[in-house]
Amino acid sequence: MVSLSFINPLSEEGQRIVKEKGDLNSIFSINEDLIDIVTHDQRQNIDDDSLIPKSYGYLAIKRIQWFIERKNNKNFINDDYSYLLNDEIAEFDVISFHLISQAIATNFNLNSREVRLFVESQGKLVEERLIKLMPQERKEIVNKILIQLIFEENISWTFLKDLVASKKISLTDLVLSNGKIILNKEDFIDRFGDKFKDRAPDRMYEIIIGDSIKELILTTMIMQNTENYLQKIKDMSSTIEIHPAISELAEEITKTISELSSKYSEFHGPSGQESYMKIGKLIKDAFPPCITNTVEGVSSGGRNDAIVLLLTSFVSYARLYPAIFKNEGVDVKVSDIDPNLNITLNEILPLIYEAANNCSPPLFDDQPQEKINITSKLGFGMHNDPDIENEGETTWYTPMSCEKIKMHLPQLCRPDKTCEKIGNPLSYYSRSKWQMQKEEKTKQAKETK
Amino acid sequence: MEERRKYYRNEWFDKNLPEFILDGLSKREFGFDHLGHGPNDRYKVFKGKDSLRRFLRYKAPFAAYISVAFYENPRRRGDWIKSEYIFDVDAKDLPIRSCNCDSVCEICLGEALEIVNNLIDTLEGDIGLNNIHLIYSGRGYHIRILNKEIMDSDSDLRSEVLKYVAGAEIPNLQYSNLEGGSGSSYNFEHFSIPIGYPKVFTDRIKYNIQHLTGKESIDGINPKLLKDIIKNRDFLEDNQWGIFKSKIGPRRYKDMVKAMARVNLATIDAKVTIDLKRILRLPSSLHSKVSMKCVEVKDRECFDPLKSAVPKFVEERE
Repeated sequence: MVSLSFINPLSEEGQRIVKEKGDLNSIFSINEDLIDIVTHDQRQNIDDDSLIPKSYGYLAIKRIQWFIERKNNKNFINDDYSYLLNDEIAEFDVISFHLISQAIATNFNLNSREVRLFVESQGKLVEERLIKLMPQERKEIVNKILIQLIFEENISWTFLKDLVASKKISLTDLVLSNGKIILNKEDFIDRFGDKFKDRAPDRMYEIIIGDSIKELILTTMIMQNTENYLQKIKDMSSTIEIHPAISELAEEITKTISELSSKYSEFHGPSGQESYMKIGKLIKDAFPPCITNTVEGVSSGGRNDAIVLLLTSFVSYARLYPAIFKNEGVDVKVSDIDPNLNITLNEILPLIYEAANNCSPPLFDDQPQEKINITSKLGFGMHNDPDIENEGETTWYTPMSCEKIKMHLPQLCRPDKTCEKIGNPLSYYSRSKWQMQKEEKTKQAKETK
Repeated sequence: MEERRKYYRNEWFDKNLPEFILDGLSKREFGFDHLGHGPNDRYKVFKGKDSLRRFLRYKAPFAAYISVAFYENPRRRGDWIKSEYIFDVDAKDLPIRSCNCDSVCEICLGEALEIVNNLIDTLEGDIGLNNIHLIYSGRGYHIRILNKEIMDSDSDLRSEVLKYVAGAEIPNLQYSNLEGGSGSSYNFEHFSIPIGYPKVFTDRIKYNIQHLTGKESIDGINPKLLKDIIKNRDFLEDNQWGIFKSKIGPRRYKDMVKAMARVNLATIDAKVTIDLKRILRLPSSLHSKVSMKCVEVKDRECFDPLKSAVPKFVEERE
């Protein structure tokens, strides 16, 4: 059977491997055993030498590279990374997982894109590795790891409440009874057997719950545990000296992520019909009604959410990276596009502050602390003003969806015709810009005739 | 004012305060509306029921409110500890109600009670919450939940619970078929799965359809579709959803499902659920606008506000 640590590198087995075989001095040393496994993988593409990881360190980088390429490269070739799904590399993989964890946790903030990419890549690897297994083995391994992770068979959904709150797991995807998540066939039949009239309950169990919910829980829990593990390393790192090889690995990871992000994002301006996604000056006439209403000022009661949650994220993305939802796989940070924060400080913040001032009463008059919250939503931590040094201390919040606006700020939602076609104010902005450009072109064409 | 005084002097007793309000009373913020312009007198704190009684008798406020939140320092709303989970259903704001009255009446209050009963069944049966209290607010109902395990959670978790209980999300209709190889999947309509969230969703939209009057204006449902839904709704009496769907047509059925998910969300005032620092009408206090008492509902199956929430001074008036 495949090693448990190949799926869950944080398992006891995984910890043992790292203790016994992990050696920080050999992170970048050529490892013949690893090369041997990779080059003998039946599907692995070996035409290009750069595809072969030759050390623990490069295997760590390849894990991240695989994830970004897989998500963004339309011509992605599975066989370029076939070894990542081959359980023969399990021991090397576990060690590389722990190396990335150290490199990332000691060099980046927990909300940074580096951390997010690593955690997401781990989740994706778990999914893909499970898919490769034979059905029976897959079932067994999932059950074994779940027992390790949740200690008991009948868990309450509140055990996963952090995953639910962060939308990693949706309550509506779980089958719940008296607060318990139904996972076992016996429990399912016992609880719901008599509810199915035209279909066999055991067959319905296989379809509705079967292994898919278990795998969903397993994957998201491993991702959550990876985040917790990074936090633990970060907490300890202040008292321990960081090994130079770990710093070197962190630098390599940063370089790889930056290169791939700029390769796949379009902040240098796409061509052709998508130019309305281009980065450029804000066009207020293209703002959706909820944003226009916010800019004009909001009355007491909805001021904080409107300025801090809605407007801040909208204006920053609309100005710096309107293609965020189109290029969801690419994780971009403010400084990628606005390296000296000139745009943020001279265009984005003034607009937000002006809107805050238009509120009644003006937002900062009685709640000056909201400036800190605005900085935080731009990804620069809990500080009065954004500073490049603090980037990644918090997340650069993406604009809230129309659904969320309807819940949080119903008074601002006055939908017009364009709203019917979109689900997020930022999509409205891009669409509106596109329409304006189209109208402008038609006008020009008429004038030249 | 005279009648309010009379109410707080002769009719209001601290024993009318529910136990869950008395527990930790000093950790909550109180708010008062003295003139009928909204609760302007906020950040009030009472050490116990005696000081609250004295205040109410002396001031006889137009309206009295209490926070859903508990604080270490309630006078400044400082050091938040935890908050109740709230589901607020206002009879006046129901997107579908069969009375079409201007404000609230016996019919829509009855429908609001039916809706909160359904919500509580899901909160208990599916979500497994306990310590649930139902309050008649004067114009609708507040479900107030003091379940220890989740009271310290933020707005995000609350909105996820809300979406489940309300039926605000279209259920996942595609289930992957792990044994049939990657990529293959089964498709089910929500009504084919008589358990879990699909059942909650089906129950909620069945209720909506059965209460349509034909006069509603619902986003995403045009007058022709509304008419056809009403024409064919008898099929749902026996849960013949398949026939109902074929009569409506698959494309229009999809439109209806989408619109109904939005109606479900609008049935509950979501803003109240996600607000951790909200103040709500104090159970036992007087709703002066409608001259009704805000009271805890003991028997939610047969509660009648006209029997249990009318103050004596109103009865005497008549």
